[in-house]
Amino acid sequence: MGIFYSNTGDFIHRDISLTGGTTITINEKIDLEDLEGHLTDKLDSFSIREISSLGTGEPIAVVIETTTEPDVAKQVLEEYLNFKLTKENSSIEFTGAALSQGFFKQLLIAILLAFIFMAIVVFIIFRSFVPSAAIIISAFADIFMTLTLLNLLGVQMSTAGIIALLMLIGYSVDTDILLTNRVLKRKQGSLNSRIYSAFNTGIMMTITSLLAVTAALLVVSSFSATLTKIFSVLVIGLGFDLLNTWITNVSILKWYVIKKRK
Amino acid sequence: MVCNKKKKMKLPKFTWKIWILIIILVLSLISVFGVPPIALKKGVLITSVESNSTAFEAGFREGMIVTAVDEKLINSIGEFSELILNKFGQVGGPIAVTFDTDIAEIVYFSDKAPEIIVSEIPLTNLKFGLDLVGGSRALVQAENKKLSSDEINDLVSVTENRLNVYGLSDIKVSPVSDLEGNHFMSIEIAGATPEDLEALISQQGKFEAKIGDEIVFIGGERDISSVCRNDATCAAIRTCESTSFGYVCSFQFTVYLSEGAAKRHADITGKLDINSSNPQYLEKPLDLYLDDTLVDTLLISEGLKGRVTTQVSVSGSAEGETNEDAYKAAEEKMHKLQTLLITGSLPYKLEIVKLDTISPALGSEFLRIIMIAMLTAIGVVAIVVFARYRNIKSSLALLLTSLSEVIIILGIATIIKWNLDLPSIAGILIVVGTGVDQQIIILDESRRGEFLSLKQRIRRAFTIIMGAYFTSIVAMLPLYWAGAGLLKGFAVTTIIGITTGVLITRPAFADMIRKIEKD
Repeated sequence: MGIFYSNTGDFIHRDISLTGGTTITINEKIDLEDLEGHLTDKLDSFSIREISSLGTGEPIAVVIETTTEPDVAKQVLEEYLNFKLTKENSSIEFTGAALSQGFFKQLLIAILLAFIFMAIVVFIIFRSFVPSAAIIISAFADIFMTLTLLNLLGVQMSTAGIIALLMLIGYSVDTDILLTNRVLKRKQGSLNSRIYSAFNTGIMMTITSLLAVTAALLVVSSFSATLTKIFSVLVIGLGFDLLNTWITNVSILKWYVIKKRK
Repeated sequence: MVCNKKKKMKLPKFTWKIWILIIILVLSLISVFGVPPIALKKGVLITSVESNSTAFEAGFREGMIVTAVDEKLINSIGEFSELILNKFGQVGGPIAVTFDTDIAEIVYFSDKAPEIIVSEIPLTNLKFGLDLVGGSRALVQAENKKLSSDEINDLVSVTENRLNVYGLSDIKVSPVSDLEGNHFMSIEIAGATPEDLEALISQQGKFEAKIGDEIVFIGGERDISSVCRNDATCAAIRTCESTSFGYVCSFQFTVYLSEGAAKRHADITGKLDINSSNPQYLEKPLDLYLDDTLVDTLLISEGLKGRVTTQVSVSGSAEGETNEDAYKAAEEKMHKLQTLLITGSLPYKLEIVKLDTISPALGSEFLRIIMIAMLTAIGVVAIVVFARYRNIKSSLALLLTSLSEVIIILGIATIIKWNLDLPSIAGILIVVGTGVDQQIIILDESRRGEFLSLKQRIRRAFTIIMGAYFTSIVAMLPLYWAGAGLLKGFAVTTIIGITTGVLITRPAFADMIRKIEKD
C-alpha cells in the first residue's frame, strides 16, 4: 500500500464515480474492437465493457466510461453509430469532478465515523481494552488487505466498492464478537475448546456468506458493474476475514487470556 | 342421527413471537401485493396528468385505474390507445366520453384526447428508483456560492413552481445535504429528457406582473428589492372568519419594489378608473405571469391609484371547511405567491453537478437478474445449512426466516413509499447475509451440549446478536448523509432490515428452533 501511495499519490485506483466523468450505456450490440479503435484519440481516458443477457449470453448493451464531458462524448458516439442517442436507446450518467471528489472524501469520513462508532460500541460491550482493540484491528485489517489486493490486481474502486467495505465491517464484527464473547464471557470448558467452538460456528457463518456472495457474483457479473464491485469486494474481504479472525484475533485473545491468568 | 356438535377450529401452537412474525409477514404481503392483488385488476394505470389541463379539471388523477371507456372494458394499453384514437381521432367538435375508473366515473367533454399518460398495471405496489426503471435526475448547486438550507428551500419552491407551470409531472424536487454541510437541489423526473432538464435549470424563471398589457414589474433584483417572508410584522395571516360555507382566512405580505418599478406602477395605475361594481379596487387587476403563463390575479386597492410607493401590500384569502383548513390554505397560497415573486430573482447562477438519464430498456432485465441472484444466494445458503445440520426442519426454518426478512423490508418500503434503487437492493442483500449469520449463531448455540437450559443458551446467542446489531447500526448511520443522499437508500434499507431482524424475525426463529429441538 505504501509503495502504491508513493507511486500514485493515492491509496486506491479510483473509477469515474470517484473522479468524475461520463458513463454512456448504449442498448445495442456493437463491435467492441471497432468502437475502441474509433474512440481512441477522440475520448479522454475511456474504458469499454459489454453487458450480456443471463442465460443466452447474448450481448445486449455496451458501457463506455470516460472523463470527457457528456455532450462531447455523446457527439463522438453518435458520429460512430450513425444514429441519435435518445433516452430510449441509451443511458447517460455524468458526475462533475468536484462532486465526485466530495463523494470520495465523504465516503472516507463515513468509513472513519463507522469505525469510531463501532469501536465505541465494542468497548461498551466488552469493557476491556485488548479484546476490543483486537476486534477493531481485525476489521481494519480486513479492509486494508482487501484494498491492497485490489490495488495489486489493478481493480478500480467505485462508490459501490467503498459501500462494500462498510458492509465488510458488519460481516467482520459478527464473527469477532462471537469469538470474543465465547472466549471471555463463557466459563465452561478449556480456553482451546471455547476457541474451537467459536471457530466451528464462525467458520460456518463466513463460509455460508462467502458461498452465497460468490454465487450472486457469478449471476450478476455479466450485467451490473455496481453489484459486481460490491460482491467482489465482499468475496475478497470475507476471505481475509477468515485469516484475521481465526489467526490474528485468536492469537491476541489467547495471549490476553493467558497473560491475565498469570 | 344428526350431530350438531360444532368442530372447534384449532390454531397451531405457535409462540407469540412466531405469531407476531406471521402477522407482520401477512401485512407486508398485503402491502406489497394489495388486497385484492393489484396484479388481478384489469385496466390501465394513470401515471401522470398534465396540470391545469382539461383532463385534470375533469377529475383524472395520477394513480387512478381506468377500467372502461364508454362501457367498453380495457385489458391493455393497446386497447386503451385504440379506443382513444377511435373516439378523438377525427372529431369535429367536443364530445362526451365516459371513463370508468377504480375511484369514480368521469365524464370527459372535449375535442382532444385527455392529457394523461398511462401504463400497464404493475404486479406489485413496490416503487423502484430511477436507476432501475429509467428517468432523469440532476443534482444542482449554486455556482461559486455555498447555499444555506433556507436558500436551498427557496430554490426548491421556485423550481417546483416552474416545473408545474411547464406541465411536467411525476417530478420530485427536494433539498439534499451531505456530510460536509453542502446543500444541493435534487430533481428527479420520470419522463423528461436531459435537454429539458438542462434548459429548465439553466434558464431562471421569467416572472412578470402586468396590468392589462403593460408590464409593471418583472422578477429580478432590478424591480423587486425583496419579498417579506418569515416575518410576522410584514407577512402574516391577518383574519379568519366564519362564513355560511365554512371559514375564510385573509393574508397580507409586503413586496419591496425598486424606485423604477414603483414609478412605473404609479404611472400605470394613475390611468385606471375605480371598479364600478367593487369600488374598493381599481378597474383592472394585477396579473402575475410565470414563463408567459397566467398563474394568479390580484385586485389592486383603490388607495394605490397613481401613488409612487416602494412598498406594495399584497393580500388575498383562502377558504376551508374548518378554521384550521382555511388558515392552512391561506398560508399555502401566501407562500406560493411569495415564491412566485422571488422567481427569477435568484441572486446566483445554477450549476448541474450531476446529471443522469437512465433508459428504462434494461430495467426489467436488471430486476430479473437481481431476483435470480438473490434466490441463488438463498439456495446456496440452504444447501450449506442442510449439509451442516442435517435437519430439514431447522434448515427450512432458516430459509423461511431469511425470505420473510426480505418480504418485511419490501412491505415497509411500500408503506413508507420508499423508492427501491440499486443501493437499497444492496442493503437488502447485506441484511439477508447478516441475518443468515445470526441465525447460524442461534442454531449453533441451541445445539451446544452444555449444562444450560435451551432458553439460557438462546439468550446467550442474543447477547452476541445484539452486540453485532448495534455495531452494524452505528456503522451504517454516517452513510445516511454521505454522497448527497444518493446512498440514503442503502443506509435506510439496512437499518430497517437489521432492526426488523433483531426485533421480529430472529426472536421468532429462536422460538422455532426451541420447538424443533424439543420435538
